[in-house]
Amino acid sequence: MYTLGIDIGSASSKAVILRDDGEVAGQAVIPVGTGTTGPERALREAFAQAGIAPEDVGRTIVTGYGRVTWQGADRQVSEITCHARGVLHRMPEARTIIDIGGQDVKAIEVDPDRGFVRNFVMNDKCAAGTGRFLEVMARVLGLEVEGLAEVSETSARTVSISSICTVFAESEVISHLSRGEAVPDVLAGIHQSVAKRVAGLVSRLGVRPPVVLTGGVAKNRGVVRALEKELKTEIRIAHSCQLTGALGAALLAREDLSKI
Amino acid sequence: MSGEKRIRAILAGLAVVAARPGEAAQRLTREKGKPLVGVLPYYAPEEIAHAAGMLPVGVWGGTADASMAGHYFPPFACPLVKSALDLALRGVYDGLAAMIVPALCESLTFFGQNFRAARPDIPFVPVVHPQNRRTPEGVAYLRAEYEKVRDRLAEIAGREVTAADLDRAIGIFNDHRRAMRAFLEEAPRHPSLVSPRVRHAVAKSAYYMDKADHAALVGELTGLLKSLPEESGAGKRVVVTGIMAEPEGLLDLFEEVGLEIAADDLAQESRAFRTDVPDGGDPLERLARRWSLVEGCSLAFDPGKERNRILLDLVRNSGARGLVVLMMQFCDPEEMDYPLYRKEFDAAGVPVLHLEVEPRMSLEQARTRLQSFAEMI
Ligand code: SF4
Repeated sequence: MYTLGIDIGSASSKAVILRDDGEVAGQAVIPVGTGTTGPERALREAFAQAGIAPEDVGRTIVTGYGRVTWQGADRQVSEITCHARGVLHRMPEARTIIDIGGQDVKAIEVDPDRGFVRNFVMNDKCAAGTGRFLEVMARVLGLEVEGLAEVSETSARTVSISSICTVFAESEVISHLSRGEAVPDVLAGIHQSVAKRVAGLVSRLGVRPPVVLTGGVAKNRGVVRALEKELKTEIRIAHSCQLTGALGAALLAREDLSKI
Repeated sequence: MSGEKRIRAILAGLAVVAARPGEAAQRLTREKGKPLVGVLPYYAPEEIAHAAGMLPVGVWGGTADASMAGHYFPPFACPLVKSALDLALRGVYDGLAAMIVPALCESLTFFGQNFRAARPDIPFVPVVHPQNRRTPEGVAYLRAEYEKVRDRLAEIAGREVTAADLDRAIGIFNDHRRAMRAFLEEAPRHPSLVSPRVRHAVAKSAYYMDKADHAALVGELTGLLKSLPEESGAGKRVVVTGIMAEPEGLLDLFEEVGLEIAADDLAQESRAFRTDVPDGGDPLERLARRWSLVEGCSLAFDPGKERNRILLDLVRNSGARGLVVLMMQFCDPEEMDYPLYRKEFDAAGVPVLHLEVEPRMSLEQARTRLQSFAEMI
């Protein structure tokens, strides 16, 4: 019997199908999230990859920002629990998990004895330090989000961005560019800005290594390096970092099945 | 009517009062033929207004956009005083015979000054509680403050307020507090009948009804609940602390994610009903001594930080698995206490969820936090 985890975020939709031995049979990431065709497309792709039909799935758990409105799951679980579950499955040594998503940042402390969430914090009211912040900045710089890390590799120095607000930071970036600052240097400043916001949040929880990063932003090495500098610790990137929430949901669905 | 049917009828009636406090207050003054007196939180000597033949009603702000109050307050004033002043400016409190304003925190002090300037037509009755509340001088000082309140309200009411009037009012309010405590103790045994929102409505409605009437209804309710078997309760129990449990949508989220309220330490709820006016002697002095007996409240100077122990005991003794802090935005008194009790909770290994609340908050973010907390504990 297969189990399905689907993670409907604000910016992307992810699905993971597990076989009953716990191996991944199919997975997909679609770069549009709740309120779009993203969830259905992610499911279609994951089913095609697994070579199974929806009837073959014994239990489905949905998580993510769009979890409450999505019909078709047996139950819904919060992203915090799912990310922790997904990360711990592959990296049981993790003690602090940071998830940088499209519109929120979560820092999770894992209980070393129980292997589960002990405490967590989330960003409040403001999208600074999130994936959306990077998207806005990429647009101003005329770059693709996926290409940001590569461009920032070539930076010689960091042009600091002092505004926290996304809108003001955008105008600050424009004025740096118009003063002739190099794009890679401004980008390094943007990565530093994200890292500072995230580090501020994580410090409310306390940094307990090993620290594992999940979410789409984890693919950006520029942010990872800046965050390592801010937190003064090495950061490990979760395997298939965008899929940890969906994987956690699928694992929890599997546990549900074993209880039934 | 069967017990359960009667319980539902009482709860529905109280929910209507809590949902529309303005209409309830208007009905109250009409039915009783007595004037209304607005009372800002906290620890105001409402008994004096009652003894003067008036009906004290709570002023706790609202959920409307407080844009008009922006003229008087800086953006970092707490939403309670901002929305209360906004409602005053919009005429919601027109017709009040007076407004009693304790100055227990900076926001309330500023509220008093702003209210006086904004609505000079509504008699303003300030009360300044002493922070050295346990010394004989502190009690004597507060008695003198209450004497001024009595004289002012007597003047407004156009009648004398005798010691016998005050004693009678104190009796009614103490009875009401006892009735509320008994209800709040019984409520967690019946989570399907008394959901978090319903529990809050029972407490909130107390501020917009005649105290004796409210005590009678709540007493009947508690008696009926006691006659029912205790429910096993599928949810996870938590204690909530803070100023007040609003917006109410937040309480629906508790229910949605399977959190039950085992007990509360909210200023609008249990803290308001925890301390009786002591027996014996001059009624104004008794009222003043109540303030010296208050324990574990962010508004009452607490050099030994008793609140840490009181809160931890509350969680342990109520069988709760954790504490949910409903932190009113920009509330200095509550924010000052938080790191201190948080440290004790962390040391004791008791989970704590900190949620900043304001009337117009996004419930989406709150849902994820509450759900994650429920899954975690
Ligand atoms: S105690 Fe807090 S919520 Fe109450 S009036 Fe003062 S600042 Fe506002």
